[in-house]
Amino acid sequence: MTDDPTPAALTVRDLTVAYRDDPVLWDIDLTVPTGTLMGIVGPNGAGKTTLIQSVLGLVEPAAGQVRIFGTPYAEQRQRVGYVPQRGSVDWDFPTHALDVVMMGLYGQLGWFRRPGAPEREKARAALDEVGMVDYADRQISQLSGGQQQRVFLARALVQDADLYFMDEPLQGVDATTERAIIDILRALRRRGCTVIVVHHDLQTVTEYFDHVMLLNVRRIASGPVDAVFTDENLRLTYGGRVGFLRQQQGGGAAEPSSEAAA
Amino acid sequence: MIDLLHELLFNYTLRTVALGAATLGIVGGGLGTYAVLRGQSLLGDAISHAALPGIALAFLLTGSKEPIVLMLGAAGAGVVATLVILGVTEATRVKYDSALALMLAVFFGLGLVLLTYIQRHAGASQAGLDAFLFGQAAALVERDVITMAALGGAALLAMALGWKEFKLLAFDRDFGASLGFPMRSLDVVLTTLLVVAIVIGLQTVGVVLMSAVIIAPAAAARQWTDRLGVMVGLAAAFGAVSGVSGAVASASISNLPTGPTIVLVMGGVVTLSLLGAPNRGLLWQAWRDRRNARRLRRETVLLDLYALAVKHDRLDHAHEESVLDAMNAWTDRTHRALRQLAADGLVAEAADRHWRLTDAGATRAHQLAEERHLVPPPASEAEPPPAD
Repeated sequence: MTDDPTPAALTVRDLTVAYRDDPVLWDIDLTVPTGTLMGIVGPNGAGKTTLIQSVLGLVEPAAGQVRIFGTPYAEQRQRVGYVPQRGSVDWDFPTHALDVVMMGLYGQLGWFRRPGAPEREKARAALDEVGMVDYADRQISQLSGGQQQRVFLARALVQDADLYFMDEPLQGVDATTERAIIDILRALRRRGCTVIVVHHDLQTVTEYFDHVMLLNVRRIASGPVDAVFTDENLRLTYGGRVGFLRQQQGGGAAEPSSEAAA
Repeated sequence: MIDLLHELLFNYTLRTVALGAATLGIVGGGLGTYAVLRGQSLLGDAISHAALPGIALAFLLTGSKEPIVLMLGAAGAGVVATLVILGVTEATRVKYDSALALMLAVFFGLGLVLLTYIQRHAGASQAGLDAFLFGQAAALVERDVITMAALGGAALLAMALGWKEFKLLAFDRDFGASLGFPMRSLDVVLTTLLVVAIVIGLQTVGVVLMSAVIIAPAAAARQWTDRLGVMVGLAAAFGAVSGVSGAVASASISNLPTGPTIVLVMGGVVTLSLLGAPNRGLLWQAWRDRRNARRLRRETVLLDLYALAVKHDRLDHAHEESVLDAMNAWTDRTHRALRQLAADGLVAEAADRHWRLTDAGATRAHQLAEERHLVPPPASEAEPPPAD
């Protein structure tokens, strides 16, 4: 490939995904350098979840190529952690928090081997890291939304990955939990991990992330937040209502551009 | 009771039927757990109805009524029906539940047509196949039970072997796929195991009622536990107990058909579980709601007394019950709440229908006010009395 000794954490080239006739993602190119904390933002139906799912091979792309640390995903599974949307599972499933976290180790365990004492220990440590160790034996339906989100995060932490994909980890959590989760994401970045987060709150993008991708079926822009998170790009992503959007969410920094107001 | 035990052990027919019913209960309950957790209960119903044309075709093609031959036919038709249902759902705009209902009816209809054809053309002596409609437990022989146990045991063993993989499939399919497990294949395997569980029960319970054996024990077991392993074990136990009880009941009482009786016993187990199970049971919930409501009423009365006392600058100031009544809408319950508070030592009756806070009551009320972030009274008055 190139003479760059360290390949990017994620490289996506010409990725197109379609359901029936409608393209959900169109010709996406994206490079995420190692060690960044990147947010993916875009309106509903922009394909944010689909992008993550097609990178992870959960959705079959119509075209395109995905490389994780320079090679196909199937060769890098052990280096990748995943936090699906909290709403994607049945929280009334008969299991407890520790058991859910241990699922993060199933890939390393391989076929048919059951988790044992070392796995329980690791899962407990991950629960401790997200401040949930006291809830290890709690039935998962008895946890609050924020606690469930932390359990999902712990399940990803226990994967001990270098690259994390998180789908709306801040959806529906209270301010304290949001703080705690962001602290964990930053700690991951300090360890050298790359974290890619689907995010919905435009107002906190500049505070939380160093890189951002603006997505609406096509990639509108991606790169360092300072360079990319501009009113012009937001307008291209969200259409004319973005000035209203950012104002409504209390973003005092964002001046509504004249086009946006029109 | 002794007679019954004696019969169970030494009466060949009853013993065979009871063992068969226990086997189908254990396997159906155990594997049905996954069907229930994955929202596939109706798929179980469709599979069992779809088995009928498979049984008829297997007989037409081979001329044999060997249980293993008929079971293979049933399983084949069950798998075909499942694939058609999934295919129709994916390829057309027909929704999953419509596809299920449609295939259930079409396959069952085909089965009835084939059964009629067999009865007309294959001679009356071979027309025993319609026993598969509602089951004919009395016709079970030892070989049938051995076949059931072998197939069911293999299915349960496979479930145990892939325990963590199937758990992943049932709880979080996408996450499992991201780990590299072939979730689609696991889905096919688990559904096939469900087909096995259904097929081995058809001769005893019949295609019409078989889905109850899959759903009922698991639905009952879910009420009693929050652990998957315990749920599988309980469902198998409920299935076995229901099976044996149904078999024994229909043997002791004349004109009681075995299959439907087993299903009725299972219905009873489900009803008891829905009502009586701790935490999830309806009775339990009603009792808990009532207890909480009473506690809230007591705390409200205590806080009212506290507010009055603070206003009068004296924590042991006694107040008329009618004042407390007036502070809340549920007048008739104030007295009961006060009596309970008195029993707990938090209030005392100073005079007839006049109540005051005890020291403990004042401390507790102060604590409650803080817990609920009620506006504190001015500092000098808010101090609880020092404990002596």
